[in-house]
Amino acid sequence: MTTKAEFFAGIRDQMRKTSGLFPASVTTRPEHPAAEVETIRRELAERWPETLETFRAEFERVGGVFDRVAALDEVPAVVARIARECLARELVAWHAGALGADLVSALGARGLAVHEMPADETAAVERERLRAIAARADLGLTGADLAIAETGTLVLVSGAGRPRSTSLLPPYHIAVFDRTALVESLRQVGVFLEAWHRDAAPPGTGAVINFITGPSRTADIELTLTRGVHGPKEVHAIFVERGIRG
Amino acid sequence: MSDGDLGTPFRQRAGSAMKDAFLQEALTIATTKFIGLRREAFEGFPEGEALRDRARAIKEATLQRLDHHLETLVGNVERLGGQVHYAATSEEARSIVVDIARRTGARMAVKSKSMATEEIHLNEALERAGITPVETDLGEYIIQLAHERPSHIIAPAIHKTKGQVADLFRRELKRPVEADPEVLTRIARGELREKFLQADLGITGANFAVADTGTVVLVTNEGNGRMVTSLPRVHVAVMGIEKVVPSFTDLMVFLAILAKSATGQKLSVYTSLVRGPRRAGELEGPEEFHLVLLDNGRIAQLGGPLREALYCLRCGACLNVCPVYRQIGGHAYGYTYPGPIGILLTAMLEGPRSVKDLAHASSLCGACADACPVRIDIPRMLIELRREVDDKKIAPWRERVVFKLLALVLARPGLYRLAARAGRLLQRPFAREGTIRGLPFFLDEWTRTRDLPVVARRTFQERWASEKGFTR
Repeated sequence: MTTKAEFFAGIRDQMRKTSGLFPASVTTRPEHPAAEVETIRRELAERWPETLETFRAEFERVGGVFDRVAALDEVPAVVARIARECLARELVAWHAGALGADLVSALGARGLAVHEMPADETAAVERERLRAIAARADLGLTGADLAIAETGTLVLVSGAGRPRSTSLLPPYHIAVFDRTALVESLRQVGVFLEAWHRDAAPPGTGAVINFITGPSRTADIELTLTRGVHGPKEVHAIFVERGIRG
Repeated sequence: MSDGDLGTPFRQRAGSAMKDAFLQEALTIATTKFIGLRREAFEGFPEGEALRDRARAIKEATLQRLDHHLETLVGNVERLGGQVHYAATSEEARSIVVDIARRTGARMAVKSKSMATEEIHLNEALERAGITPVETDLGEYIIQLAHERPSHIIAPAIHKTKGQVADLFRRELKRPVEADPEVLTRIARGELREKFLQADLGITGANFAVADTGTVVLVTNEGNGRMVTSLPRVHVAVMGIEKVVPSFTDLMVFLAILAKSATGQKLSVYTSLVRGPRRAGELEGPEEFHLVLLDNGRIAQLGGPLREALYCLRCGACLNVCPVYRQIGGHAYGYTYPGPIGILLTAMLEGPRSVKDLAHASSLCGACADACPVRIDIPRMLIELRREVDDKKIAPWRERVVFKLLALVLARPGLYRLAARAGRLLQRPFAREGTIRGLPFFLDEWTRTRDLPVVARRTFQERWASEKGFTR
């Protein structure tokens, strides 16, 4: 087997042949990304309605379903309506701490079996059990850490209380977000990612950051667009005007 | 046969592709659609041109310090609890993955679409070791059931009709199936969902790897990439060394142009940034994460003539616009990577001997370079390949002799004039309606499919010499 040393020696041998032959420059990265994040947030605080409108248009263009409520206490009713429409009986949800509020206890009374995911490390057997529940659930309820207007994309950071499977295994996914998640562009997302990596606390402590741009799709058979091949066939986004965390 | 139909010569493979009426129609519809979608995506994106320049510059800058960026990547992957492996050849890469599978007791491996694992023929190696590989991208799943190879980088099964897919599902899954894409997709969802939940091993490629955060980036539309990296207890990612980018800031530049070039989407549905194994508090995610760094001919090109081909993002845009690909499709190329960039990558992985015919399977029209998101100068490298094939005496001797003679004549005016005069005499038996037909020996191979005009009665220079007096 090739060792690390041999592998890199081969690379350096070749690199010597071309050093300085090709002009190129590196990208300038934000020096203090956390500070830039604050600047982006401050600027967006003034023009968020336009950003939200762009997000809505792009999100719908990729097949998402957009909803807007004035306050957090209206969210359960919207979730219940979506559940009724898709004949859902079982719902898995991120932990209230990750969602920013308890959105699900009210849903139990509406005839939905609700499973809130745990906020702490659990034993392997318990993880297996919860995964099986997510795999049979009809509906997954999550938050969204960023909502990108340019592309209609939801960004979800995994971690404790925010499982990856909630937005993946059930055929219907609902994400609840507010204006603190809104960003305009992929470039701005880059600043947030740099900040989470370097000098600001990331929203979740898990290993994966997922960008979700509409429902799962394929066109692999005769280029016919089909939804829900492996992931959800419907993605809903509920925007809370007055904010989730007060 | 590990590489398609390499038993038959390229010309024969191309010929039979051109006689396949369904394939011809499918190719035209698919490539035309992709071209339109890509054009629309960039028309609505004025900053796209500048971002393409930016992306190209990042690729070049990264290659110039490749050792540094790869060391950083390795350090960060290890810091996050992952293990890194080094594969000089495809054989080494296969045995690394098979060893991991054996050690962890894996019986079944689910795979998300990956050209790198196609390139190293991983599935056959897994099967030989008693591990069942399951392709989970719908197109790749179809191809695997049919025991074929992908015919397009991003749409592997464009050469199949829904009727053929339905027949295939009926035969392989032993159940009645309606020939409707919606139904077929639902069946595949059910079949593959079971596999995702059962598999012990998840195998992926990497669209990018971000050095300073130890991140492997996977882009899919179906969500299979997310399944494969979240559900099995072991995840192995196989990546060519050129996939590394320095930072998240750089990554966003590529994400902004990749899907637009491939399918015309602003972003693919799922982009997953995977940073090592499951962390405390997470419900899912692998207990083990392995990254296999693959050389397989790439390192030699860092200082070689095909260096620029290492910029490739595998978007497939150059296939769609290529007049040759549009005629013959992916299988006729005979190797893992089809299309204009595929010829260069084949030369990189398999050596110049493998492309002695393919190097000529291009009209050098330049459409590929225009479509390439990172503006790879594919035609320039194809010409260089042709020269190499000639210099190294890989081309057939007759071809080399003809080109040597031609070069000799074209470089000497006296000889050129003499040859023109000789040609005028010698062409007489073969000249029909202004073109030359039915030349003797192998020379007929040129004139059979091309119009070779007759040598004019008087050359341009002769006319110039006699007529310039009148025009003044």
